[in-house]
Amino acid sequence: MVTMMEFFASSLLTAVPLLGALLSLVFWSDPKRVKTCSIASSILTFALILGMARLLPPPPTGLLSLYLLPLGAMTSVLSHPLHEEHRFSWMVTLVCLGFGIGTLTGPDLSGSFFLMMLLVTIIALLYRHHTALWPMSWWGVGLLIFGLVCLGISMLTVPPLSSIASLMICAVLLPLAPLHGGYLTTVTRLPGNLPSFVVLLLPIVGLHQLSTILSAIPEDVVSVVNVLALVGALYSAVKALAQSRVRLVLGYGCLSFFSIVWWFVTITGATTPRTALLVGAIGLATSGLLIAWQVIRTRYGDDVDPQAISGLAAAMPKYAVVLSLLGLASMGIPPFGVFAGFMGLVLTSPQASVFGLFLVLGAWLAASWYIMQLVQQLLFGASRPDLRYTDLLNPELISLLIVVLVLLALGLVPSTLFSPEQAVQPQTTVFLESLAWRN
Amino acid sequence: MAELEHASDIESRRMELRGIVRLAGEVIAQYWPMRTFVHHNPLHGIEYLSFEEAVRRGKQFLSGNGYLPSHVYREFLRTGRIQPHHLDDALKSLAIDKRVLLDTHTVTHATVLRACLAEGLCSPVTEPLDNQLADPSRRLIDDLAARLKPVMVFPDLAEQIDSTVRRDEAALGRWLTLSHWCDDILGTQIVQQINDQLIKWCEAFLDEGHATWAMPEREKGLYAAWKAMASHEWSVCDIKDSRKKIQRLPDYPEDALLESLDAMGIPSELRQDYLSLQLTALPGWAGFIKWRGEERDYPWQQAYPAGLVKFLAIRQWYARELIQKACQEMLGIEGRFDAVADYMHSHVEEYYLRRQRVAGRLPALYAEEVDRLAHHRGTGWKAVLERYKMEVVPRQESATLRGTAKKLLSLVGFLNIEAALLNDCSSTDLKQLVDWMEAFPESEHGPVWLRALEASYQEHLLGELRARPYDPDRSATNRPYSQSVYCIDVRSEPFRRHLEPMGPHETYGFAGFFAAFIRYRAWGKEHDTEQFPVIMRAKNEVREIPRSYLDHKVLQHEARARWLHAGHTLLHDLKENVVTPYVMVESLGWFYGLPIFGKTLLPALYQRLTSWFRQLSAPSLPTTLTVDKLAPGDTAEMLNAEQQALVRKALQEQFGLRSSRITPALVDALRQRALALGEDSNSAILTEETTRAGLPPEKVNEFIEMLRRQYDLNARAISRHKERITRTGFTVEEQVLTVDTALRMMGLTKNFARLVLFCAHGSTSDNNPYESALDCGACGGNEGKPNARVLAMMANNQTVRERLKKTGIDIPTDTHFIAGQMNTTTDEVQLFDLEDVPPTHRADLARLQEDLKEASHLTSQERCRRFPEVQQTLPERTAHAHVRKRSVDWSQVRPEWGLSNNTSFVIGRRELTKGLDLSGRVFLHSYDYREDPSNRLLEVLLTAPQVVAQWINMEHYFSAVDNEVYGSGSKIYHNVVGRFGVMSGPWSDLRLGLARQTVMNGELPYHEPMRLLTIVEAPRKGIEKLIARHDVLQHYYHNEWVHLVVLDPHDGGWYRYQPNGEWICIAPQRIEPVK
Repeated sequence: MVTMMEFFASSLLTAVPLLGALLSLVFWSDPKRVKTCSIASSILTFALILGMARLLPPPPTGLLSLYLLPLGAMTSVLSHPLHEEHRFSWMVTLVCLGFGIGTLTGPDLSGSFFLMMLLVTIIALLYRHHTALWPMSWWGVGLLIFGLVCLGISMLTVPPLSSIASLMICAVLLPLAPLHGGYLTTVTRLPGNLPSFVVLLLPIVGLHQLSTILSAIPEDVVSVVNVLALVGALYSAVKALAQSRVRLVLGYGCLSFFSIVWWFVTITGATTPRTALLVGAIGLATSGLLIAWQVIRTRYGDDVDPQAISGLAAAMPKYAVVLSLLGLASMGIPPFGVFAGFMGLVLTSPQASVFGLFLVLGAWLAASWYIMQLVQQLLFGASRPDLRYTDLLNPELISLLIVVLVLLALGLVPSTLFSPEQAVQPQTTVFLESLAWRN
Repeated sequence: MAELEHASDIESRRMELRGIVRLAGEVIAQYWPMRTFVHHNPLHGIEYLSFEEAVRRGKQFLSGNGYLPSHVYREFLRTGRIQPHHLDDALKSLAIDKRVLLDTHTVTHATVLRACLAEGLCSPVTEPLDNQLADPSRRLIDDLAARLKPVMVFPDLAEQIDSTVRRDEAALGRWLTLSHWCDDILGTQIVQQINDQLIKWCEAFLDEGHATWAMPEREKGLYAAWKAMASHEWSVCDIKDSRKKIQRLPDYPEDALLESLDAMGIPSELRQDYLSLQLTALPGWAGFIKWRGEERDYPWQQAYPAGLVKFLAIRQWYARELIQKACQEMLGIEGRFDAVADYMHSHVEEYYLRRQRVAGRLPALYAEEVDRLAHHRGTGWKAVLERYKMEVVPRQESATLRGTAKKLLSLVGFLNIEAALLNDCSSTDLKQLVDWMEAFPESEHGPVWLRALEASYQEHLLGELRARPYDPDRSATNRPYSQSVYCIDVRSEPFRRHLEPMGPHETYGFAGFFAAFIRYRAWGKEHDTEQFPVIMRAKNEVREIPRSYLDHKVLQHEARARWLHAGHTLLHDLKENVVTPYVMVESLGWFYGLPIFGKTLLPALYQRLTSWFRQLSAPSLPTTLTVDKLAPGDTAEMLNAEQQALVRKALQEQFGLRSSRITPALVDALRQRALALGEDSNSAILTEETTRAGLPPEKVNEFIEMLRRQYDLNARAISRHKERITRTGFTVEEQVLTVDTALRMMGLTKNFARLVLFCAHGSTSDNNPYESALDCGACGGNEGKPNARVLAMMANNQTVRERLKKTGIDIPTDTHFIAGQMNTTTDEVQLFDLEDVPPTHRADLARLQEDLKEASHLTSQERCRRFPEVQQTLPERTAHAHVRKRSVDWSQVRPEWGLSNNTSFVIGRRELTKGLDLSGRVFLHSYDYREDPSNRLLEVLLTAPQVVAQWINMEHYFSAVDNEVYGSGSKIYHNVVGRFGVMSGPWSDLRLGLARQTVMNGELPYHEPMRLLTIVEAPRKGIEKLIARHDVLQHYYHNEWVHLVVLDPHDGGWYRYQPNGEWICIAPQRIEPVK
């Protein structure tokens, strides 16, 4: 039963960013004020989540996801250059943040409603920004519509059909091959700063949905998902290696890591705060890299070819340092959150098959190849004399530093901090005991 | 008959090809082995072109920049290294008399050009299609861009494509190889693939004992060895049937190269340029092979012959196969010149889009689309180009307009004109300003900047020289304490400057080989060094031998040295063996920690300890040199003794005979039989002696055959050896000529002091592959010690002095010549053969040594101020300790830093420069024109020492202006390869030129790159005749490789020689302080 306080807290948290979006319309003629309004709304939402966390119903994967969403929205908007063309994407960021929080905190029906609104918003945006040079975006839009339909089916039908439909939505949001096209399209085709926020938002929402339906999914389906996750992890790692565009490299890289998450979820049969940590860290690290790429696009045009940019280490030293740190975090190198989340899952999944673990480690190692390749391509090599180099501006630097520091905190802070009441699963306890020193 | 004609045709084609390759190789410089590093002009082969044209060729073939980046010159302008009026002077020839009015301000063409230089307005900037960064001037820029729009003309895309195709077609074969074309259009990495293969094979083949396992079959030569080995490789660059294809290649490299060129359809008129481009893809390896190919006496070349034809034959085979593969797989055309040209014309849209894609000039979405079309071999190129024309081209034009507007704003900013005034200016005038800027692109700024920089420096130097009173007839009267002769090297200048004020010491400058063209072998060494400039040849050999009174110690010393050598060899073998390192690391590995810690933490102490230990284990012995020729009798005796020692050794090795059983008669009989001397009379003695020694008779003949073959005891070998011994030393006539030439060239013919020092120079540094680059260039990259000793010994020879007296050089009997060597990393001077100094000169010697020491400390003090980590005046002793430490510090990338910053060469009397602080930037050669009425000596100076100075200057110049191409990059990444060169990292071209740390100080050049300024004190008429007589001088002065300024003693005027052969009198200038 949802208590009054819980309903109030949920409504308030959802309403603040949506009101912020409305307020930004008042300042529409002044891009600076629109941006300030968006950032202030995100910060206010974050502060309210901190303050009202105890009033919210305890989510199965902890509160980390809730904390990360406003942070992600804030860094995404903050890093974006001040320009009148960007007002729309800042406002939509707040709308998506509101719908996302609504999905995570709202009771069943309202949560589904907000999720539906979120999907509709994204589909509408993709439709508006479609280009004939990117025919693949139709496939992505189609998959998002498929997710929307599945959401409707899950609301209207009973298990097991509703569970299967819900699983499909999860696979669209927390991408799992072969339903990953929607996610990839949002990362690559959404305008302005939205990709760097949505890359975090959708998987968090997907994981939230998954945690609610996981127990209701039939065993056979779980087995199929398990295989798909393993195949998807490898497939997407190979695809990431073959890409030349930054957003696609990051999109496929994300997909590879999220497939690993799926694999852990299917073998443990549960989602834990560690799962949320890994999903949040992957999303945030990718968001950071997308912001870093946005920095380049700001300077050299939205559709700059990444192969035309090199030698930034000498020309933009601050950028080089931050990008290197983000690269390390995304690859899953300690002491950042991705490593902590990954190791947390590995050590608490005693029933993982050696073969599966081997494939997962292979996909993980592949990340150090394609992400390093990307970082090297941008930072090293000869600087082009015909390009003007401007190192990170203060908003960009602050935004990227926040991402790096949060990723660092996720790697160092105990995961129980975000879910103190979460019980450790019995098989995990047994496994951890087996690792203990025997005197 | 037909076969004969065919064979003759093949041979003529081969000869023709060899000629083409020789011409193609002109553009790459020879690469001398590092152990005798020779500074040289990397564009030496094309000095017959003007400097600017040669620099353009360097850009064409090597992609090397011939001038510093403009921002560095701008920094020079800002800091006063370049004076503004010199910049204006340099621009005069480019400026036209036109102006534009901006309200009340008049903007001339010259002002715009100067703004382009000083503000970098013409730097190539790619304006982004979307401008998202906040810019306070955005509105102004947009307004200006809107005003420029009607007057700016943008070529239609079709025109652009057409001109691109025509330009590329013209470049193909001249600027662009087919491999490069594939890389630029198809995104392949064929050039890199070929380079990787060539590096692999060259590294293995050219190795000079560095590799643990040498490449087999090297004796067949580069091409045949490659063919033999590569035909066993499993997969060569993914080329189908590579093994069979390599096996089927012709035996002659010329035939293989012709076959490849024919297969690629390279037109005959383009082949020279085409092959030049191929060679310049790896100028280091090709340069070393070129050098080897021309050094037929080089032992490694004799053993393992390599040449450019062989190199190109291998390279072109890879090129041909990889191009064919890429063109067929990706374009469906043949990998031939004509097919590629056809493709460019018949698929213009596809060609243009592919080209833009690989160059990174397409927006990302278009790049993806091009990739998709290329991958699926699609046909939608035209549609994509149409879309590109509609969507991207207008944005590009807007971006260009914005960029132009920004330039205009920068221009008015530089001219201190209010930006708003641009709005009052007509669009046509704005266009005029833009046109002026665009007509002076940054690629044309280099020559202007260089002229301005040179003029600034030259004005200052000439001003200082001219500020001194000039009296050509003044001659010295008082006898000096000492006279010392130093190398012309710029590092001698500070030392001489500090020594002269110590007392009445006269100093002279002379090329550091001291006119002694010798091939030298130090005692205990197995190889000779060539102690003369690389452009000369040696006639005489000199050996270092222990002094005769030390015979009893020699054997003991040799035995200890052998033990040390054996220990060293054992350790090396244990390290390099397949198995032993596993054990050795565990057992002896820790022992290596001592040198590591010692060299790192206490380098000076460690060096002292190791020197002490070396001295303890094998103490050095006083030596002398074989300066005099041996008499014929002595030669025969020496030969006999050597042959007898050989026979004794053979008897011990082959029969195990003890020394007591080897009688002189037996040895001599065997020797005579082996040499087939007096065979009949000898046979009886031989039989008797062999029987007495217990040698089986049937083995004797076999043994004699062995002596002839295995021990080289045969008439031919003896003749060779004898010829060599006769080359050892100098005849009295040769000695007289050498001393006479040297003394006259340096102008030291009278008023001799009691002590005359010939001071060579060398250096000490640790962990420095470039060690020989710090040594004497005039001595072929070696220390000049042997040359100084040779000249001093000759000059001390009484017979020589008597003969010299007849030629007009009267050396007093109390004058003693001594040899010394200055260590340019520690500034210490070491004197040699001091036991030959007469007791009467001990006091003079002590005083000289004291003053040399003081001068050495002052020089160190001056040098320390230049080091980036010091940059202050240290106390003398601290400075001395500092430079000593640098010389033994194995982590030190700048152990010396003395040769950099050279700029000028002064040929004249010391009176011209004495007392002037020339900052160690000037080569000083003493020359007194009064001693040389026929200009014979000046002719030598201009055609030999000046060449050496120009090579050093140009090596530094090009290493500074483009260190990545003409220099060798950072020392940090250097790895020694094959004992003859360095690579960057584990896999690269042989690095040419000087390291970054040698010529750069951070981001700015430490060596200010300028062409050499030669200043000669001599009559102009004589110099004109010399220029007319020598091509090298015409190339230097007419092609502007060297600036020539003459101080004509007849009228005391200073004249600058012009490229057209005219003289311009230089008006006196005020001296501007150069910061």
